[in-house]
Amino acid sequence: MHSTTKSLPRMVEAFDHPSGSLAAKSAGGAMLWQGKLLHIHVAPSASYEMEELHEAHCVAGRGIVGDRYFEGTGTYSPKPDVREVTLIEQEALDALWRNDPPMQDGRIKLEPGDHRRNLTVIGVPLNHLVGRRFRIGEVILRGGRLNFPCKYLEELLGQPVFLPLYNRSGLNCGIEVGGIIRPGDPVELVA
Amino acid sequence: MTARLIMKLRVEKAHLTSPDVLHVQLVHPLRPELPHWTAGAHVDLRLSDGRVRQYSLCGDPLDRSRYEIAIKREPSGRGGSIWAHENLRAGTIAHVSAPRNNLPLAENAKRHVLIAGGIGITPFASMARSLSAGNKDYVLHYCARSAEDAPLLAELQAICADRLIPWFSQQGRRFDTNVLPRRDQGTHVYVCGPSRLVESVRTALKEWPEQQIHNEVFQPTIDENFKAEPFEAVVASTGQRLLVPANQSLLDVLRDSGFIVPSSCELGVCGSCECGYRDGIVIHRDHILPLAKRQDRMLPCVSRARVGVTLDL
Repeated sequence: MHSTTKSLPRMVEAFDHPSGSLAAKSAGGAMLWQGKLLHIHVAPSASYEMEELHEAHCVAGRGIVGDRYFEGTGTYSPKPDVREVTLIEQEALDALWRNDPPMQDGRIKLEPGDHRRNLTVIGVPLNHLVGRRFRIGEVILRGGRLNFPCKYLEELLGQPVFLPLYNRSGLNCGIEVGGIIRPGDPVELVA
Repeated sequence: MTARLIMKLRVEKAHLTSPDVLHVQLVHPLRPELPHWTAGAHVDLRLSDGRVRQYSLCGDPLDRSRYEIAIKREPSGRGGSIWAHENLRAGTIAHVSAPRNNLPLAENAKRHVLIAGGIGITPFASMARSLSAGNKDYVLHYCARSAEDAPLLAELQAICADRLIPWFSQQGRRFDTNVLPRRDQGTHVYVCGPSRLVESVRTALKEWPEQQIHNEVFQPTIDENFKAEPFEAVVASTGQRLLVPANQSLLDVLRDSGFIVPSSCELGVCGSCECGYRDGIVIHRDHILPLAKRQDRMLPCVSRARVGVTLDL
């Protein structure tokens, strides 16, 4: 376990991240979509199983109340990064279940409670949201960088998810405007 | 280095299986199935203050709905068992890791000889189930003061029938190493219990190849004569030099320098923090790395180096 320091976890502001800052300066990205928040999950500390929430309190510049990156007790908390909130597409999980593309022994069931991202969304083009602002209910997020699958997740789950999650492992975000989010909240681009 | 999921499990049942051993059944409050495990595996139990203790799973590996552990009250121990006895009761939520197996059954063995002393019986309870289910040739020697003091005795009698050989000292029967089989390629011996028992078995089998004798220790390194010296660790990938002072572990120094190293027991028994090294003379102080791995692997939680070591990081 990581030592429990009482100081606040250090984060990198989403639009200061090398990828977020570059994208934020140029126009483009996907428009005219509307998605939905399906699930919210947090874990109290590194390696702990994720727990589903029916309502979550997002704090600007900090994270989701009760999550390990909010508390500074996450596996990667000692390394400052954009980790206030992480998202993944339900479509990516569906693809793993279809074994698409067929890169491993067979289909992989990665449940919303298992992938260790905070929010599972559908109809949201996450890879196009680096450097963009978007809204989930009353909360406004900033896309900082694409998430990258880690071997740690593979070890924790005992499933070969590293390769199949490549390039669709989700989005790491900062919170610009905090508030309450709930499953079912619409997700849309903020111009 | 293997990361393990930590789950909040609910104590379904907790009762004394012998006067000082608490038998605990754990279920997941939300999921019908727990992570898969094999006979000989253990879990980490997290105490309320964040410390971690290892307990062998003693239930049936085929029953995915629950984990079973048995915890002996050790009044002069480090406090983990006292905490467990006082706090684990039906309905309690316990923080438990996914299982890991450092004491697996040898797959190709023709015959398995299991020797347990007291609470050392726990890994053998699952092994006996697997061996019986697989129709394997085995025998379980069970040493205890008396039948009343032998944890899990009734269920072991049901599983093992005449393969269970009790050695109860109150009846004047103390384990006799002369009953051990003669050295034979297909026979594997497993021993868990007080160090006196483990040592006597190891002494009796000193001619045997190391790979055919298996034991597991859930205790910290107690070596009062060991005097830690400072040393330097070099990170192979970057050339970074880290000074490890005498009063700090290599694991702590790595962490303070921003390295992410999983760990659990920090006593050299669980193997979570295992890492590779190249040059240097390592002073191995763990209980788990087999001799063959000590050439280039070490546990930075307890092991140190003479003067310097280069880490494969």
